[in-house]
Amino acid sequence: MNFFEQFADKLYSTFIEDARWTYLTDGLKTTLIVTLFAVILGVILGFLIAVIRATHDKTGKLSILNFFAKVYLTVIRGTPVVVQLLIIYFVIFASFNIDKTFVAVLAFGLNSAAYVAEIVRSGIMSIDNGQFEAGASLGLNYPRTMIYIIMPQAFRNILPALANEFIVLLKETSVAGYIALTDLTKGGDIIRSATYEAFLPLIAVALIYLIMVMILSGLVSKLERRLSKSDRG
Amino acid sequence: MKKTFTLMTAAAMLAVAMTACGGVPANTVHNADDLVNKTIGCQLGTTGYVFAGDVEGATVEPYNKGADAVQALKQGKVDAVIIDSEPAKVFVEKNDTLQILPDPFVEEEYAIAYKKGNDELGDKIDAALTQLKEDGTLDEITTHWIGDDADFVSYTPDESVSRDNGKLIMATNAEFPPYESIENGKIVGIDVDMMQAVCDVLGMELVIENMEFGSIIAAVDSGKADVGVAGLSVTPDREKNVSFTQGYAVSTQVIIVRKD
Repeated sequence: MNFFEQFADKLYSTFIEDARWTYLTDGLKTTLIVTLFAVILGVILGFLIAVIRATHDKTGKLSILNFFAKVYLTVIRGTPVVVQLLIIYFVIFASFNIDKTFVAVLAFGLNSAAYVAEIVRSGIMSIDNGQFEAGASLGLNYPRTMIYIIMPQAFRNILPALANEFIVLLKETSVAGYIALTDLTKGGDIIRSATYEAFLPLIAVALIYLIMVMILSGLVSKLERRLSKSDRG
Repeated sequence: MKKTFTLMTAAAMLAVAMTACGGVPANTVHNADDLVNKTIGCQLGTTGYVFAGDVEGATVEPYNKGADAVQALKQGKVDAVIIDSEPAKVFVEKNDTLQILPDPFVEEEYAIAYKKGNDELGDKIDAALTQLKEDGTLDEITTHWIGDDADFVSYTPDESVSRDNGKLIMATNAEFPPYESIENGKIVGIDVDMMQAVCDVLGMELVIENMEFGSIIAAVDSGKADVGVAGLSVTPDREKNVSFTQGYAVSTQVIIVRKD
């Protein structure tokens, strides 16, 4: 058998035989679902924590909430996400037959929230104090100043860092296989365990992640350009 | 700091409380036919995984480790686990809420995998295995690990052997007692002892590479390891990618469930 026949044979056994490609498509679906909902959870929780922390930094209020936020950040950022995932699955929901996709969304969302929170806080703190004062002199209260003056400016500043966090999150979901959730990586592993052939499944999985990240980066730079149009000068 | 500690203790206690009060569902699997439409846990890449996939309507949960599948079974996340009989005995012994169902699946034979075409090495190992079987070494090793008199004492390498014939790299997955598991930071078990004895015969130095079970065949195929020894049963699929020596142990797949 020459090289090309061998390669075609491997292509066939890796993807076509027993409809093995469905492991990749089903896994991709799971990866996308987990990432999407984890991003939503992470952004909502992350923004809340960031506002609490920034408000405390700026005004000295909310010290109890700020304390809890700090503990949260320390614990989440101080432990690996795969350990958090296993803790949620095997310890917190020890005797519940809980949906694994939900566990993964919770683990990755809670994890991402800690990072998003610090990114958003850095964005809020980067806005000059004069902007807060300008808001106050216009008669806006603190929440309104935050929503209408600070956040829009902060958001533009943190967009690259936020996009980076989403890219990291997307790739981090590849450890979901630890709780036997069949995500994209696990899908590739299942094919590998059936064909005992490492090259094609791993390269295919890598390419799919790469394409997803490239699409995500492309969308973000489009958004960045759109937002920078409103810049003066 | 004190506040943080108090808070963490409170969180830990809450987690323990949640663990304690949740009810684990009652066992619903009493024989192999009951597996239909159930959720079956197994280790990815094992023959148990293949069998589970053949069960009608069953949801198969492929864990990275057999122990994780067993833990999920204990917690009611899966209804049954299909795994090799000897590891099953060890797992059940350590968990008194679990039991092994009496009717086993088909018998299989464990053998040593080596790279296709590397018959020189394969034949040497095969000859060494024959010798170890004939002089009773293999039986002796087995009695240290399986049965009522098992004392879990590892085989002592023969110090007088000169190991001039190079290294023999063995790929394994140390999650599979009594064949291989990690005890006190060392990989021990029947497979390890057997390969040490083989190396004593061949005058080679044994090097153990611990990896994911699903990566073992690929490691042997790509030359990263010389042999795969991990309670590997000989299956037609595996034989497409690697060669096997003669069998050295007989095993069956069994079903583990929660006690009624």
